[in-house]
Amino acid sequence: MGQETKHSFGVRFLWMVNITAYFIERNMDISMSIFTGTDDYVASEELKLSVNVAVSLGKPLLIKGEPGTGKTRLAASVAESLNKKLIIWNIKSTTKAQEGLYAYDTIRRLYDGQFGEEGVSDIARYITLGKLGEAFRAEEQVVLLIDEIDKADLEFPNDLLWELDQMEFYIHETKSLVKAKQRPIVIITSNAEKELPDAFLRRLVFHYIDFPDAGLMEKIVRTHYPDVEENLLKSAMDRFYEIRSLRDLRKKPSTSELIDWIKALQIGGISAEQLKKSLPFIGVIIKKDEDLDVIKNVH
Amino acid sequence: MFIDFFYALKAKGLKISLNEWLTLQDALNKDLAKNSLAAFYYVARAVLVKNETDYDKFDLAFDECFKGINSNDIISKEMLRWLNKEELTDLVNEDLRSMLNREEEPALSKDEIEAKLNERKKEQDSEHNGGNYWIGTMGKTSFGNTGANLGGIRIGGMSGHQSAFAVLGERKYKDFRDDRIIDNRQFQLALRKLRQFSTRLDIPRTELDINGTIDKTCTNGGFLQIVMEKPRKNAVKLLLLMDSGGTMIPYTSLLNELFQSVHKANHYKDVKCYYFHNCIYSHLYKTPECENGDWIETEWLFRNLESDYKVIIVGDAAMAPEELYSESGNYRGPNGGLSGFMWLKLLKQNYRKIVWLNPKMAPGHAPWREAETAVKNLLPMYKLTVAGLKKAMDELMLRK
Repeated sequence: MGQETKHSFGVRFLWMVNITAYFIERNMDISMSIFTGTDDYVASEELKLSVNVAVSLGKPLLIKGEPGTGKTRLAASVAESLNKKLIIWNIKSTTKAQEGLYAYDTIRRLYDGQFGEEGVSDIARYITLGKLGEAFRAEEQVVLLIDEIDKADLEFPNDLLWELDQMEFYIHETKSLVKAKQRPIVIITSNAEKELPDAFLRRLVFHYIDFPDAGLMEKIVRTHYPDVEENLLKSAMDRFYEIRSLRDLRKKPSTSELIDWIKALQIGGISAEQLKKSLPFIGVIIKKDEDLDVIKNVH
Repeated sequence: MFIDFFYALKAKGLKISLNEWLTLQDALNKDLAKNSLAAFYYVARAVLVKNETDYDKFDLAFDECFKGINSNDIISKEMLRWLNKEELTDLVNEDLRSMLNREEEPALSKDEIEAKLNERKKEQDSEHNGGNYWIGTMGKTSFGNTGANLGGIRIGGMSGHQSAFAVLGERKYKDFRDDRIIDNRQFQLALRKLRQFSTRLDIPRTELDINGTIDKTCTNGGFLQIVMEKPRKNAVKLLLLMDSGGTMIPYTSLLNELFQSVHKANHYKDVKCYYFHNCIYSHLYKTPECENGDWIETEWLFRNLESDYKVIIVGDAAMAPEELYSESGNYRGPNGGLSGFMWLKLLKQNYRKIVWLNPKMAPGHAPWREAETAVKNLLPMYKLTVAGLKKAMDELMLRK
């Protein structure tokens, strides 16, 4: 919107005849923050679009995709690109929704009460905000990453419906309302271990990160190793996609594993020629014994 | 806006709420789709579709709705505004449509329609709704949206270029559809639905609630106050009955996956698993080999496993009619003088919740599969796919 973004689809198409009005609208949009990716994170056009839709609509963005497609790194990239602070809320199987809002340290208050500390009657002293609370309280807009939401209990997303929708919650103990000063940009990642409830899904923008095709993958590798040798990169990628296309693999190697592999190949001084004949450092991309057997059988 | 698109998505089985639809309008008002159909495709998908398994359905609906648009159309913004009237949402319903449909314009070929459209675009200078000549909403001409004429050119929604369709044409999300046959992990996920925490049940409070006790004690000014709670355990008991007959051999690995998933999901209060050959008779086998003698009596099962066991029967229900109906039984084991169908009826009487999972169930009504149809009428039957298993689990968890 701000600048002419080029669509990979090529031809762009005008459906507004009134060009003047069109440009006025565009100029107005320039003030909006637009995610364009960062130097070390290559995002597809679709992904950028989804991020911008979520940001403009003020809705959380749910990101799914194969492991290693950069779901978690997206949030860091968005924060960096928009120059905003990143708050990360890592979800574990034991995480409760309440922890993200606030915690009331009753035990400390109890101790303080028993030892006659000052200010025990002031409950607010014993309230500490969770990650979500922190994001709401921030003076400036922040990026909040709720990482791996599917790890938590099935009910977890439902418990956050109101908070994410209204961007506010109520602290019962102090009878005070915590309301977002600036609606945070919320990015949620999921590995699809558990299905998320419909009511929750209805409130978000969703994007599934496809596994990068060879073109995009090359760009990604180059952002990590700008000086990688042309032939090595090409044959490494060929071998990588060849391995990924094997049907019997239990765990397909991911982007991050390819990046590690290329690094290993570089350090090991492997030439493109050698790579065509053998698969050195295969352990970097294949982690399961069964999968190693599959590859041995093929070659 | 784009009401037809909305209905096309619905027709493809996507659950889209009004809120999501309004969100999409919001996104378009903010010009997020800019001027490209491709961008509109991604924006609409991000807002409306919340699961990659539904991407394929979305692609099909999108293709259906926006296919007729070619890349060189330039449609004025004003024209689009007339078409995209929000208040139309209320008006659009089947009755109205059929009412307006009475005087249909004779069907025209695509070229004729296109020629007419271009002509009329030049002529038109005001808004039209419900007419039968101009481009507008709810009309009977071949142009415009929400109209009665079938097969005309859709204006409104979006215009765009072919490349978006190149993306759709690949149907690259086809593999994600959840009505395909499943793997172990997805089985496990579906089986997780079978949870019924016993805190809901009427049992005594026997466990010390530590958090509750601390909370109560603290709010009580430090005086100890004990809180007890009901133990939170899954109360679901499962009885798995698997067909191990000859016709099931192609599905061995699938059944194996299901069996493993049930056992990996070790959160059930109890899991019992027995086997049968083609149909259930007076004995159930303890092993898939179905050897004579290595069995339990089906009536023993009725006596010893209470009616709150949830029963999952897996089989292809492809018995010969006499295997199902004959009292002497075309069958190698004992049948206790009752036909297979009677045994199934007894099973139904004894257990409140039974589902039948069939790996090769015919879609829709299939009267030529006599046994399958008979069993289907007796017990709720689902195809053994992710979607089917989910539905079956929902059925099992439904309270009556």
